[in-house]
Order: sequence, then C-alpha cells, then structure tokens
Amino acid sequence: MSENCCGIKVGAAVPDFKLETYEPSKGDFGEVALSGLIADKKWTVLFFYPADFTFV
Amino acid sequence: MEAGAELITISRDTKFVHLAWQREEKMLEKVKYTMGSDPTGCVSRLFGVYDEQTGLDLRGTFIISPEGKLMNSEMNFYNLGRNIDELLRKVKANIYLGAHGDEACPVKWQDEGDKTLKPSAAMVGRVSEEYK
Repeated sequence: MSENCCGIKVGAAVPDFKLETYEPSKGDFGEVALSGLIADKKWTVLFFYPADFTFV
Repeated sequence: MEAGAELITISRDTKFVHLAWQREEKMLEKVKYTMGSDPTGCVSRLFGVYDEQTGLDLRGTFIISPEGKLMNSEMNFYNLGRNIDELLRKVKANIYLGAHGDEACPVKWQDEGDKTLKPSAAMVGRVSEEYK
C-alpha cells in the first residue's frame, strides 16, 4: 500500500511527538515536543513540506 | 506567528540542512519560526503526509489546539503552494472560537470583529435572518 493511510483525523487527540529542530532565532539546534506546547497552552501550526533547497 | 500560534515547519531534512538552508536562502533571512526535522518520517507518518514513493512529505498543514486536539488539516500535492492568508485566517478563527465556545465562524468570516453565528434551535431553517 503506497497511499497515505493512518493520518490523524480532524477532531481527534494528537499523540505526543518530539522533533529535533533548528531555531533561527537562536542560531542553534533544539527540540520541540507537543506535550511542551500543550503545557504552555499554545496553539500549534505544523507546516510540512517536501525538501529544503527546493521551490514553490 | 503574529496571530498568536506557534509555527513549526517540518520536512525530512536533518537540522543541519535546515541551518544551511536558512543561512543561504535570502528569502529565509527573517525567519524566526522553529524548523523541525523528521528524518525517520515518524511524525510525517503520524499526520499522513509521508509519501512512500518519494520519501518526502506532501504539503500538509495542521492546526492543533492547546488541548492537543487536531482542529484543521489541509493537504496539497508537491506542485501547489499553500495560501498563507488563508492559513492566518484559519488560525485567527480557531483562536477566536477557542475563546467563544458557543459561536461559529460563517463562510465569509475573515478577521476578528467580523460577524459570527450563535447556533441554536431558533436559527434552524432561519440562517438567512442572520444576514439581514
């Protein structure tokens, strides 16, 4: 199966996840976790895109 | 984001590539948002954006509430960029509605201060009255 199955449905609770990051505001690497954003009571926007150094 | 949300961009590139790209590309000079890295594709698969054929992520945008609920999802194929004005509109609407649980943002809602609806039994079949 090469379809994108198993995405989270709108209205569902998002499981916690963690990502390594680059933080341009600090010029340094970091880490972000959904649990941290929830603890800080933030709205979160995730913006996925194919690849750095490409266009559009 | 100026609208009051935390923006995280995510691709399958490593954090090292993010650093190099942000430093190189003049269009990214003023970037202050977090650039997330998902080389294993774990988070990308969680949100259903991972494309097994290319190993890359489709153009998916997701808005998550402070309670951890997925409120919005948008997905485009590689060749179509997303409209940032529409994203800002949806973020503002979500933040407003989060604070006004009994209201709804109708079709033409653009910004805070625009008319909202208070769904109720009285409004059933009478939505046109709201627009008089």
